[in-house]
Amino acid sequence: MIRSDSPRKVRGALEYGVDLDAPGALHAVLIRSPVAHGRLRTLDLERVRSSPGVVAAIGAAELAELLPSRRGDPSRPAFPSEELRYRGEPVAAVAARTLGEARAAALRARIEVDPLPIVAQIEDVFPEWPGSGEGESEHVNAHVLARQGDTERVFARADRVVRGKYRTAGIVQMPLEPHACLARVEEESWRVQSSTQSPFGVREDTSAILGLPEEQVVVEASWVGGGFGGKGAALLEPYALLLAAASHRPVKLQLSYAEEFELSRSTLPSTIWIESAMSGDAILGRRVRLLLDTGASLPGRDFATGYAIGFIAGPYRIGAVELEGYAVKTNKPPFGPHRAPFAPQCVFAGESHTDEIAREAGWDPLEFRERTAWRVGDETPLGQKVGPFGLEEGIARARAIRERWRKELPQGTGIGLAVGFWSTGTGAGGEVLVRLGPTELVIETVEAEIGSGSVIRGLVAVAEEISGLPREAIRIERTDTARGPYDSGVYGSRTLGALGHAVRVAVTKLLEELGRRLPGRGEVRLELLDGKCVASRGEARTGVESLFTDTERATSGMLARGRHYGRGGEILAERVITGGFFGYTDFTAAVHLAAVAVDAETGQVRVVRYAAIADAGHVVDAPTYRAQVEGGVAMGLGEALTEETLWSAEAELMNPGLLDYRVPTLLEIPPIEVEVIEGFPGAGPGGTKGGGEPPIIPVPAAVANAVADASGARVRELPLTPERVARALKLL
Amino acid sequence: MTSPLRLLVNGVPVETPVPPSERLLDTLRWRLGLRGTKEGCRTGACGACTVLIGGHPRLSCLTLSHQVGEEPILTVEGLESDPVGRAVMDVFVAEAALQCGYCTPGFVVALTGLLKEHPGASESSLLEGLQGNLCRCTGYSSIRRAVTRLAEPAP
Repeated sequence: MIRSDSPRKVRGALEYGVDLDAPGALHAVLIRSPVAHGRLRTLDLERVRSSPGVVAAIGAAELAELLPSRRGDPSRPAFPSEELRYRGEPVAAVAARTLGEARAAALRARIEVDPLPIVAQIEDVFPEWPGSGEGESEHVNAHVLARQGDTERVFARADRVVRGKYRTAGIVQMPLEPHACLARVEEESWRVQSSTQSPFGVREDTSAILGLPEEQVVVEASWVGGGFGGKGAALLEPYALLLAAASHRPVKLQLSYAEEFELSRSTLPSTIWIESAMSGDAILGRRVRLLLDTGASLPGRDFATGYAIGFIAGPYRIGAVELEGYAVKTNKPPFGPHRAPFAPQCVFAGESHTDEIAREAGWDPLEFRERTAWRVGDETPLGQKVGPFGLEEGIARARAIRERWRKELPQGTGIGLAVGFWSTGTGAGGEVLVRLGPTELVIETVEAEIGSGSVIRGLVAVAEEISGLPREAIRIERTDTARGPYDSGVYGSRTLGALGHAVRVAVTKLLEELGRRLPGRGEVRLELLDGKCVASRGEARTGVESLFTDTERATSGMLARGRHYGRGGEILAERVITGGFFGYTDFTAAVHLAAVAVDAETGQVRVVRYAAIADAGHVVDAPTYRAQVEGGVAMGLGEALTEETLWSAEAELMNPGLLDYRVPTLLEIPPIEVEVIEGFPGAGPGGTKGGGEPPIIPVPAAVANAVADASGARVRELPLTPERVARALKLL
Repeated sequence: MTSPLRLLVNGVPVETPVPPSERLLDTLRWRLGLRGTKEGCRTGACGACTVLIGGHPRLSCLTLSHQVGEEPILTVEGLESDPVGRAVMDVFVAEAALQCGYCTPGFVVALTGLLKEHPGASESSLLEGLQGNLCRCTGYSSIRRAVTRLAEPAP
């Protein structure tokens, strides 16, 4: 069996956030802003409160009496009392006996708003690139600028300059399970069970928003029906807790799919300009300009602009680089992380551009990348040395796959190559508690299995490797933030690298302690014999129970803590002119090939083959790793071809549902070939690199490059809908 | 306003008061406690709530409970008692044709229904029959591998 959660999942036997229930639980609905921007003049909940079945209705006015400290963090109020910043922003909440009653009551709220001017899109602020350093505006959340070398000089002496302007669409994570939680407030304890990727992250957010000490908020993850970055921060938990405090009853709050589209923080549109100064086949210099819509994000909370912008420049040897971007504040919902946040969009621009440079000069795009790609020891634009990196080997493997495809695929099929890179996010570190009992090894963590297998399979596989025990003797035990060891969450492809490392440390400690209790010298391993954990050293075998102290025998066995300290890469500060840039922890390559057929009459793109070459570092479980690559590619194909949030001039989301926002269906995903490269180690246990995010990164670019190869149509806007392809083909 | 409703769910007759406008999805999950059937989009677009009614795959979010009548209902909780259902679940476990598992009950129920309706169905017709079920995690790759094993070998 590949995954130990499979038998319960095929039987529908696990409790997800949407399945949570408690005797007497009320059902809650959020009352939301009818406008994208305005000043709240009146919020009258009297008619809500007098609706049948309603037990509590709360808005900004009720916060003070509900919160022990009278107020939370004024910069992130639970409910706004003045300015409404996006359409659908929660302004109040209601709890009733049934969901139907809560919905009916919510419609009776009286909300009066004085409208304010709406900034719906980037172009409302900057119709074009504002010019370097010229983008000062009240509508800018962040400005980032970094420079390596003398771009002015190299552009002046270039043989030619290649320019491109690219646009990318807003997308949503759309896990099949919407956000859902169940809250209870009893005495001092504000307790919430939630479908979350980060119990401690939710605790931190919730305690700040509600002005409660962190220990007073207890978060427990349920099983999670997919997250993809959307379930990391607190979203529903503060509202559910406030209603539970107001009603003195448990409160269930769950988003509808339409609300999931409107409230989940995800990727918003961007415009990217790239200029490359060329001399022969050398890239003398590159200028990257980025305008990223960050919606109604709060100032200082932008993480994407200064991180992702490096991916636009690409993993290439470039003489001089200038990176500049603005995070533009609009009246869309706030920006948030979505599987490899904003990287597929950046790589779409960067890798489309790289292909254009090569094709324009008559070079094979693959060979051009082969010659220009970073080698180990090269320097990034921000001055980091490139560590172990499977890029070169990945491109070599792509060449072999392309040769085979060219023989196998019919004439007219286009083949596109794109490379991406990524770095495992470490977060703020983390800890696990490992317990060795007479018959099993238990890993205690607050983290839920969100689907990737990183917890249920990845952590177990690390413990297997280190201890020698078989997987059936190793179990994950999920706990809550009151009892469990701290960890910052299942995101950033970090679980194996951070928590897996902590597991390795803890299990190693247990083995060392067993070594002190056993006679002789040499390595200690564990095995399972007749259902018992047995320690071996050389030829000797000893049941671990006989090695326990009296206390260990009376309690739950031997205990060890393992810890991971979050860390990132160092960048050269003098290259940063302004804004927050981040170093890479490791260098993870993803080299992809797409083969497409383009309908010459309709512009419809069909992906017929796909190959993903993954720089894994070290694989602890091959089927689970491969499944991450396959899933990432499929999600990337959605970003490439169909997924796009559509916004009105009033910043209203026009397609909040699966009938109008198309995610890939079964027959739209071709067979995916996966090749794994090991031997370029990352920072995780045994040299693992993050696996969840890299496989989505090059997908839109690989498809766009394949479309250009098949048809000559260069589409510089995501997604590649039939209409955009047809326009590029001059059919429209 | 509710009216009494009799249903045959997983071979067991049940009687419960249900309002005329209630969806079968909600009756199963919240009145009968059968939460293996998952609530997804509630608009018939995702397939997570698929159950068998009279042996046919149906979306319980678009079915009113009072519409069902005497047709037997099979949910994921009842699949184990069905030989085809058991085979489908075994193959999904063997291939790990799942990740978060949220869409999985819908997939195994739909596939069981397809295999029962069309014994000996080809792989391609089974895949076509599953297009109404969305999965956001697997890229459908492991699900395809499971379907390959369940389909009759091509002649």
